Amino acid sequence: MDPSQLTIAEAAHAIADGSLSPVALTEAYLDRIAALDGELHSYVLVLRDEAPATARVLAASPPRGLLHGIPIGLKDIYKTRGVRSTAGSRRYLDHVPNEDAASWERLRAAGTVLLGKNETHEFAIGGPDFTLPFAPARNPWNTAHYPAGSSSGSAVAVAAGLCAAAMGSDTGGSIRGPAAYNGIVGLKPTYGRVSRRGVFPLSYTLDHCGPLTRTVEDCAIMMQVLAGYDPQDPASADTPVPDYRAALERRLDGLRLGIVRHFHEHDAVADFGADSAPSAGYLAAFDAACRTLESLGAQLVDLRLSPLIDYVDANRLIMIAEAYALHEKDFQERPQDFGHHMFARIGLGAFLSAADYVEAIRQRRELCLEFARALDGVDAVVAANATGPAPRIDALPTFGTVERASYTGPFNLTGSPALSVPIGFEDGLPLAFQIVGRPFDEAMVLRIGHAFEQATDFHNHRPAIAAPLPGR
Amino acid sequence: MPDQTIPAERFAILVERAGLKLTAAQFEELRQAYRFVQRMQKSVRRPRDRAAEPAHIFVHPRGGAA
Repeated sequence: MDPSQLTIAEAAHAIADGSLSPVALTEAYLDRIAALDGELHSYVLVLRDEAPATARVLAASPPRGLLHGIPIGLKDIYKTRGVRSTAGSRRYLDHVPNEDAASWERLRAAGTVLLGKNETHEFAIGGPDFTLPFAPARNPWNTAHYPAGSSSGSAVAVAAGLCAAAMGSDTGGSIRGPAAYNGIVGLKPTYGRVSRRGVFPLSYTLDHCGPLTRTVEDCAIMMQVLAGYDPQDPASADTPVPDYRAALERRLDGLRLGIVRHFHEHDAVADFGADSAPSAGYLAAFDAACRTLESLGAQLVDLRLSPLIDYVDANRLIMIAEAYALHEKDFQERPQDFGHHMFARIGLGAFLSAADYVEAIRQRRELCLEFARALDGVDAVVAANATGPAPRIDALPTFGTVERASYTGPFNLTGSPALSVPIGFEDGLPLAFQIVGRPFDEAMVLRIGHAFEQATDFHNHRPAIAAPLPGR
Repeated sequence: MPDQTIPAERFAILVERAGLKLTAAQFEELRQAYRFVQRMQKSVRRPRDRAAEPAHIFVHPRGGAA
């Protein structure tokens, strides 16, 4: 069997019992990258020589755990010592850091093999941009379509079988959007749960780092290594890390889940216009997914929060203001270095005032308190993710990031753990919802996501391009 | 959402104040998109108690804690 078809859990088992070597697994992924990534553009750098060398060392080493010998990708905003890290920008086209991102330090110590750096929207916001040196990644379900972003390359590589897992970052939905459009699992952990050290910032108070995987169990395995206190990240929280995999169950008996329907059933069109309307297929898939949760024993209750736009506009204003402050000097002195989308989207920050920013963070506090109160009565919340199939990659408005509804941004604002899980298909393209939990209760959202996944088979559907290579 | 696009003369003042040197195309694109800034500015302004704190406050541990 082609070992690239295995989940992390399956590959770990095979490596542990000696039936699979980290070298063979790494070579299988590298062969797939060589054969398929010319069409998908999910990598901006492939470590063709270094990855097998690492795998050979691991093959001769004592096992370090479930990630021993597992090949992964890193979004190209993660610093990698001695390996080019561009943030998807001309500005850093030749940038070779002399330090590693904290997440990569942890994953490397756990025995993962770095296959390469994944394509990202410029500075995790400006894309898909055809004016940049790197071609935008393509959706493996249909390469004419958008894979979402900004962790586009990471999600495409996982969905297409070009790595076992990858790291993304999420400031307004950049892990969960790509997870949704690519039919995989993506977790934005609680703010402070996974270190941001060594990851190029977009917005200091909204940035989160997290994994993209094929299954929820794989996500739990990755989180076991990623979660933990980092005294060098000022926002890192010194909070105990539970056994995520042990929390996975098949039933949800006794759980009470709050369903936020008004965001997608009413607020999206009322506040953002007809272009933000959910598709009919999405509405049906969301309802069916809720019925599945109910069939697993969960009690569902409708949850009403403030209007979606209150959350989304506060999130976007804070993000644009913080990102502009970070890049202001370059906007003034070397604007030609930016791609079109990055310049246009973050350039809006030049016209925000200090009072705008303060009012947004006052609103943020009100909404955080509202959401905390809402969670008092339930174990977790279920909300829509992208409410339709991926659009064509050549039909995206430059200002879609501020023009249209977002269902992910609210949970960057609250800092809550939020897991994207596939819930169906429309026009051959994947659909997803989010499971959102209490602060630092990633174990609960993973438990719910795993039970849902085991009761459905959406995670077993993979794009045709993910099939084994001929002869494998 | 504001119905009217900000006049070019007024927007030029904002651009000058921000210290940006825009091409004609950049100027026009950002001018057209300025309505999104206005929407966000309006969206985060609402009647609030003067004591309503921003999100970024700090709670220090109580003294004497073990």
